[in-house]
Amino acid sequence: MDLYRSGSSSSCAGKAPDQIDGLLAGAGYRVRSSELRNVAQRLERLETVMVNAPSEISHLADEVVLHNPSDLASWVDSLLSELNQPVPVPDLSDLTYAESLDPTVNTGAWMEHHTAEQHREIPQVLTAVEEDSCIQLVHVLMTCAGSVQRGEFSLARALIDEMQGLLTRVNNRCGIGKVAGYFIDALSRRLFSPQGSGLIGSAYENEILYHHFYEASPYLKFAHFTANQAILEAFDGHDCVHVIDFNLMQGLQWPALIQALALRSGGPPLLRLTGIGPPSSDGRDSLREIGLRLAELAHSVNVQFAFRGVAASRLEDVKPWMLQVGPKEAVAINFIMQLHRLLVSAPTRGSPIEAVLGWIRNLNPKVMIVVEQEANHNQPEFLDRFTEALHYYSTTFDSLETCSTQPDKALAEIYIQREICNIVCCEGLARVERHEPLAKWRSRLRGAGFKPLHLGSNAFKQASMLLTLFSAEGYCVEEDGGCLTLGWHSRPLIAASAWQAIPEPNPPLGLVDPYNNVV
Amino acid sequence: MAGSNEIKVNESKKVVPLNTWILISNFKLAYNMLRRPDGTFNRDLAEFLDRKVPPNTVPVDGVFSFDVVDRSTSLLNRIYRPSPSPETAADPQFGIIDLQNPLSTTEIVPVIIFFHGGSFAHSSANSAIYDTFCRRLVSICKAVVVSVNYRRSPENCYPSAYDDGWAALKWVHSRPWLRSGKDSKVFVYLAGDSSGGNIAHHVAHRAAESGVEVLGNILLHPMFGGQDRTESEKKLDGKYFVTIQDRDWYWRAYLPKGEDRDHPACNPFGPRGISLKGLTFPKSLVVVAGLDLVQDWQLAYVEGLKNAGQEVKLLFLKQATIGFYFLPNNDHFYSLMEEINSFVNPNC
Repeated sequence: MDLYRSGSSSSCAGKAPDQIDGLLAGAGYRVRSSELRNVAQRLERLETVMVNAPSEISHLADEVVLHNPSDLASWVDSLLSELNQPVPVPDLSDLTYAESLDPTVNTGAWMEHHTAEQHREIPQVLTAVEEDSCIQLVHVLMTCAGSVQRGEFSLARALIDEMQGLLTRVNNRCGIGKVAGYFIDALSRRLFSPQGSGLIGSAYENEILYHHFYEASPYLKFAHFTANQAILEAFDGHDCVHVIDFNLMQGLQWPALIQALALRSGGPPLLRLTGIGPPSSDGRDSLREIGLRLAELAHSVNVQFAFRGVAASRLEDVKPWMLQVGPKEAVAINFIMQLHRLLVSAPTRGSPIEAVLGWIRNLNPKVMIVVEQEANHNQPEFLDRFTEALHYYSTTFDSLETCSTQPDKALAEIYIQREICNIVCCEGLARVERHEPLAKWRSRLRGAGFKPLHLGSNAFKQASMLLTLFSAEGYCVEEDGGCLTLGWHSRPLIAASAWQAIPEPNPPLGLVDPYNNVV
Repeated sequence: MAGSNEIKVNESKKVVPLNTWILISNFKLAYNMLRRPDGTFNRDLAEFLDRKVPPNTVPVDGVFSFDVVDRSTSLLNRIYRPSPSPETAADPQFGIIDLQNPLSTTEIVPVIIFFHGGSFAHSSANSAIYDTFCRRLVSICKAVVVSVNYRRSPENCYPSAYDDGWAALKWVHSRPWLRSGKDSKVFVYLAGDSSGGNIAHHVAHRAAESGVEVLGNILLHPMFGGQDRTESEKKLDGKYFVTIQDRDWYWRAYLPKGEDRDHPACNPFGPRGISLKGLTFPKSLVVVAGLDLVQDWQLAYVEGLKNAGQEVKLLFLKQATIGFYFLPNNDHFYSLMEEINSFVNPNC
C-alpha cells in the first residue's frame, strides 16, 4: 500500500528552508519552512494575550485590520500589534527540523528549547524588579554585541537565550523592553541567518511602512516642511524651477510645495519635478502613478507642472543626463534620509558619494537639502554602532509611544525595525543605513565644495509651530549653526540642513555643459 | 483549576508535527474570535478567514472536481472523481463533465457522501482543508466523494444539517452518473469528521428507518456529548486544542433553544436516545483520537451500536489529536486511510 506514501503534492521531505511548507499550502496557508518555528511562537504569544485579555477579543474581531489570512505570519503579527505586543524573538537555536514524514523522528524535538516559555505570566508593572531587569538586559545586550564583534558565537547564542528569559520579566509594551526585543531579534538574525541580509521588503511594502511612519510621528513631516521652506526661498524670483527628489516614495512632500508656489506673489513658476525611486518589480509604474497624481493637483491650482520618473536601484546609478536639467532652470536637490546610502563603498566602486556630489555641484543648484538621522551608525567597529543604535532607537521608540493611532504605530515600528536590522545584521554593500551626525556631514559637504545656507529664524519658528499643531509634548526643535534639528526630550534625532555649491575658483573656458557625464 | 493569569502547559506541541500544530492552533485562535459570548457568531469574519478553493475540472494529481447544485434544495455538493486513466477512456476530454454515463458498468465504484466538520458552525465543502482531504480520499480509495455544503449553525440549528444530509443522500441515489457495477446502482457510504460524523449517524438512522440503502458509515472523531462531564472531558480540557467551554458553545448554537446536551441529536444513546435494535443500520467504522476530550462519548457511541446488535469497528488512535488527518505527516493519517480503503473496498 505504498501508492500514497510516494504521493507528489503532499510530500515535504528535505525542502530548502526558503520554500513554502507544501502541506500548509494545501490547507490554504503560505508559511516558509524556515519561519515555522517563528510563527508557532507568535501563535503561542497570541494565545497568551487572548487568554489574559478576553474582553479585547471581541474588539479584535470587530475592528481588526484585515490582512491576508493566508499569510499566517503577517496575520498573527497584525493581531499581536492590535493588542500591543511586540513581535517575539525567533528561537533559531535548532536549525535542523524533523522531516515530518518519517514517523520515527521525534516530532517533539522543537519543544526542547521552549522551557523558558512555559508557565510564563504576563508581567505586571513591578518597578523594582523590572528596573533591575532592564539594566541587566542592556548589560547583556552590550555583552552579546561585544561577543559578536569578537567572533565568539557560541557565547553570543547563550546570551541570546539569557536575554529571552530576561525579556519575560520586563514590561515589553514600552521603553527598553520593547526596543530590546528588536535588538535581540536583529542579533539573532545576524548570528543565525546564513545570508545576513536582515529584513528586505518589496518596494511596495517599503512604501506602506514609510507612509505609516510618516503618519505616526513628526519626523518626516518636519523634514518635508523644512525642506520646502528652504526650496521656496531659493526659488524666489525664478520662473522655471526644477526639483530633483532622490527618493520620491509616495511624493508626500510635494503637494505642500505645489500649493505654496501657487500662492506665491507674482504667480507660480513653471515647476518640473524629477522623482527618483527603485524600479517596481510588480509591473506597476509607481513613479508614474505618483507623478500623475501630483500633476492633477498642480493642474487644479493652476501651476504649470511636468514630471519625470527615474528608476534606479542604486543612487549612484543616476547620471545627470537622465535628469535633463535645462540651462535656465533653478534647481533644487532634495535628499531626505537618502544621502547616507551613498556612503556604502567597495574597493571596486570608488567613492559613490564623491562622484554624485561632484556632478550635483556642476549642476549649480540653488539649494541642496540634506535631512539625515542625527546618529553615528557608520562607525567601523560593530560594537560602537550597536551601542549608538540602541540609544538612538530607544529614544525613537519612546517618542513613538505618544502615537495612539493604529496601525500607524505598529507599522511605524516595523519601519524602524528594518533600519535597526540593517545596521545590526548587515555588512558591506548590504548595509545601507550609514547614518552620520551633522558635524560629519558638515565637513564632508564642505570638502565636496558646498557651503551651508542658514535656514533662518522663520523656519525655526514655523517648525516649532508645526510641532505644537501635530505632535505631543516631548518633541523639540533646536537650531544648530544654521541647521534645524528635531528631537525627543533634548536628544536630536533628525537634522535638516541646506547647501549651495561654492563656485569653482578657476572655471574652465566656456560653460560646463550639464548634459555631460561628469565624473 | 489554574489561576487566571497562569498559562496551562501546552502539551499539544509535544505530540503533533510543527506544521500541524500551527494549522490547528491557528484555527483554535481564529475560532475564539468568532464565537461571541451571547451565542451569536461572526459569520462575515468567519467567511473572510476561511481559506476556500475552487473546483478543478482539469485533473490535478489524478482527481478532478466540480460543483453541482441540487435545485430542489439549493444545496451545493462538490463531487470529486478520479480522472479516467488514459487506457480506459476512449477519448479523455478533460474539462468536460460527463453527467450521463455511469461511473462503470463492470467495477463497483464506492460513492462516499462526506460531511465536513466544524462543530456545525465552521467550514464549507470548498474549504481548502476539506477539499484537500476529499481529494486524498479519492486517490487512496479510488472512490467518488460527494462533499455536502450543509447549512450551519447558529443561523440554522437542528435539524437543518440532518435535513440537508438526508436531501444529499436522496440526491446521490438518484444520479444515474453515480451508478456503477453490474447491477448499476449507487454504492453509497456516509462519512464525516466531528459534526460531520454526527450528521452521518443521524442521516444513516433516517435512511435505515426509511429503507434507503447505506452500505457503511465512517465516523471520524464524531461530535457527540451529554449533560454529564466524562473523565476524558475533565482530564483533557484545554490540553489538545479543544475546551469543554467551546464544545458547550457549539451545542448551544446547534440544539434547539432550551434544550440540553442529552437531546438525542447530541447524545443518541443517552437517556433520551432512540433504540437502533432491529434496524438495518449500516456497518460503522468509528475512529477515535486518544487525545480528543470527547472520546468517552465516542466510545459510548460504539458501545451503544454494539448493544443494539449493529456491526461496528473501532479504530482507536492513542496519540492522535483532533484534526490529525488534515496533513499526511503522521502515522495516524496512513492508518486511517488504510482502514477507510478496506472499509469501502471490502473485496480488494
